[in-house]
Amino acid sequence: MKKLQIKQLIEKIEGEAELDFTFNDGKIEDVKINFGFYRGIEEILRGKTARDALVITPRVCGICNHAHLIAAVRAIEDGYANAGENITLTSKAKDIREFTLICELIQNHIKWLYMTMLPQLESYLDKKSGENYAIKATYLASRITKALAIFAGQWPHSSYAVPGGVTCDPTYVDVMQAQSLVDECIKFFERVVVGLSLDDYLAIDSVSSLHKVDGDFGKLLHLIGDNGMSTIGQSYDKFIVFGDSILSNAGKSIVTNISNVDVKYVSESSQEGSVAKAVTYKNKLFEVGPLARGMVAKTPIVKSLHKNYKDSLLSRVFARVHEVALLLAHSKKLLAKLQLDELSCTLDPHSKLDDFEGVGIVEAARGSLIHKTTVKNGLITNYDIITPTQWNLSHGNETQQGIAIKAMVNSTTIEEATFIFRTFDICSVCTTQ
Amino acid sequence: MQNKPYKPKLLWLQSITCNGNTHSFLNHPDLFSILENFELIHHPTLDSEYTMADVLSKNVPCDILILEGSVIENGFKKAGVEVSSLIHAYAGKAKHIISVGTCATFGGIFKQNNPEEISGLCFDLEEKTQHYEKYASKLISLPGCPVHPRWLSFVLLMLAKNKSIDIDSLHRPKELYGYTVHNGCTRNEYFEWKIDTKNFGHKEGCLFYEQGCQGPYTRGSCNKILWNDTSSKTRVGTPCFGCTEPNFPQQSLFTTKTNMGIPAKIPLGISKRAYLTLTGVTKSFKIKRFSKDLLEYD
Repeated sequence: MKKLQIKQLIEKIEGEAELDFTFNDGKIEDVKINFGFYRGIEEILRGKTARDALVITPRVCGICNHAHLIAAVRAIEDGYANAGENITLTSKAKDIREFTLICELIQNHIKWLYMTMLPQLESYLDKKSGENYAIKATYLASRITKALAIFAGQWPHSSYAVPGGVTCDPTYVDVMQAQSLVDECIKFFERVVVGLSLDDYLAIDSVSSLHKVDGDFGKLLHLIGDNGMSTIGQSYDKFIVFGDSILSNAGKSIVTNISNVDVKYVSESSQEGSVAKAVTYKNKLFEVGPLARGMVAKTPIVKSLHKNYKDSLLSRVFARVHEVALLLAHSKKLLAKLQLDELSCTLDPHSKLDDFEGVGIVEAARGSLIHKTTVKNGLITNYDIITPTQWNLSHGNETQQGIAIKAMVNSTTIEEATFIFRTFDICSVCTTQ
Repeated sequence: MQNKPYKPKLLWLQSITCNGNTHSFLNHPDLFSILENFELIHHPTLDSEYTMADVLSKNVPCDILILEGSVIENGFKKAGVEVSSLIHAYAGKAKHIISVGTCATFGGIFKQNNPEEISGLCFDLEEKTQHYEKYASKLISLPGCPVHPRWLSFVLLMLAKNKSIDIDSLHRPKELYGYTVHNGCTRNEYFEWKIDTKNFGHKEGCLFYEQGCQGPYTRGSCNKILWNDTSSKTRVGTPCFGCTEPNFPQQSLFTTKTNMGIPAKIPLGISKRAYLTLTGVTKSFKIKRFSKDLLEYD
């Protein structure tokens, strides 16, 4: 048995990561995942007023900042409810928050498809097309973030969601502009991403009709399928979702059995030699993210892929891009039903609550994001952020290797393993905070 | 053979950051025509000439250094290389240094976890760092959390065209930071007549009196050059948090600190006496139009 250690710097992800591979007899036996700098957002929050978290926490991450805002505001609202002051949001405020969050997921997934998956796969397979994929990514991403900014003022780093609702008070002029941006994104998705109408694409419910997918997504699926990569990258087939959203309700999926979850069983632990904390549910490892949402929601096409390819790279990649279609369709519905005559914010500006504890959960691009806030005398005494990537990228526990590590084990080349790694949509800044 | 025009070599380097400036710039609708003017040596996400490993060798070319993120001299390594040593290697080599975002410029949010050791490259809050003298002649500051994509493109295109950029004492381009965030705010009429918004979530009313808006004393053209080409914080009813300022972020960001019912910090360059006099006068009038909602004017 020949053991070999190789270090590899992974770039062009969100930040950078260093992978430390251990090969045994030509196969990967273990991987250590190391990230850069611990910035201490939780420490920075201590001693600040409760609502300052709405400004500070988005700065955890440049690509999923809006999810942090929504988690932060939900944590405060949950804290108010726990202290006996229930806040009821208007449907308008709920719909606007849901819309802006959806916009952020769409920009994330499209950037990942075009700026990570396609160029990295072409480069790994030595089939470089020389195409400027980034121009496609930014075409769609800048339009959908503009739609977001119509309500939230800006992206990245908006703080427009406040306890009781949202700060904006849009008019139909605003809504029409957002609708036309969403329509443009749908056109782009149809013509460029999948080469099908959105309805025809969404009608695909099994692997047998996957061949209909054309466009750049079709190209990616072909590259994966034609090069024998459909079944690689499998992990433990255990998934968890904590937040309810249009994509899925909360729940966990273990070999296709779905059951309930409770956030109180989530625990964090520090990892030796890493600035990132590991996280488990009842001491067990779970994968979070689009594939988890697809499995828990029993999305037909995701279930069909899973039946054929398990929790492989192909299932994982597909589930993420598929969310773009689901979210685009839903965002249109949300805008159409906005009740502009309702209040934007229902919380009395003079209501003052100085002691509470609350939890905010949101389904972010990479999976469940959890914020926990403890406020005493109006000031934050403890703040806890558990990011999706902490689930997928931890080193694991005493008995099992981490989710992404398991997916890379047994791979024979670093190139293949790092591509598998990238299918998890890596974000170093969220993992380390 | 015709010589191609020389394109300045652009290196985008990340230090302690959330990547927010990177993603902000990716929103620029003319991104690729702007980048056409440069040779992209390295960028955190866009395809570039060299790999990160090449950058770590400190040997890649660099005419313009874009620095994102705050700086620590020791303790942040990429693949074993101190990031500060990379910054100094390329900052020394570059003809121009652009610090994008409040972190790279003044230290920003991440400074708060380690105020002694973390700062901007040339400024620590408003104070000059030990590196200031070395880099001052080529430094352009673009604070903002994140940097506005069009502010960065303005600087890049001016440099590409060899035009000089007029800067202030903190090295911010005057064309961008000569304005306050208050300039161009759609709530200006309410500010003039000292009418505050009743709660969050209204088009009407000014956010300066109760909601903590720092627009009147924060430098930046957010309400002239809109965010995502469409809006701004104050236009959607969110207070300005002063994210371009050296002391960002301060405490209690959604509340205005007051002195005898008057905002403790008054608009930039206005004497307290002038402000109080004006407030007294305007508040003595009741303007009927402002008691109604904007869309109920019949």
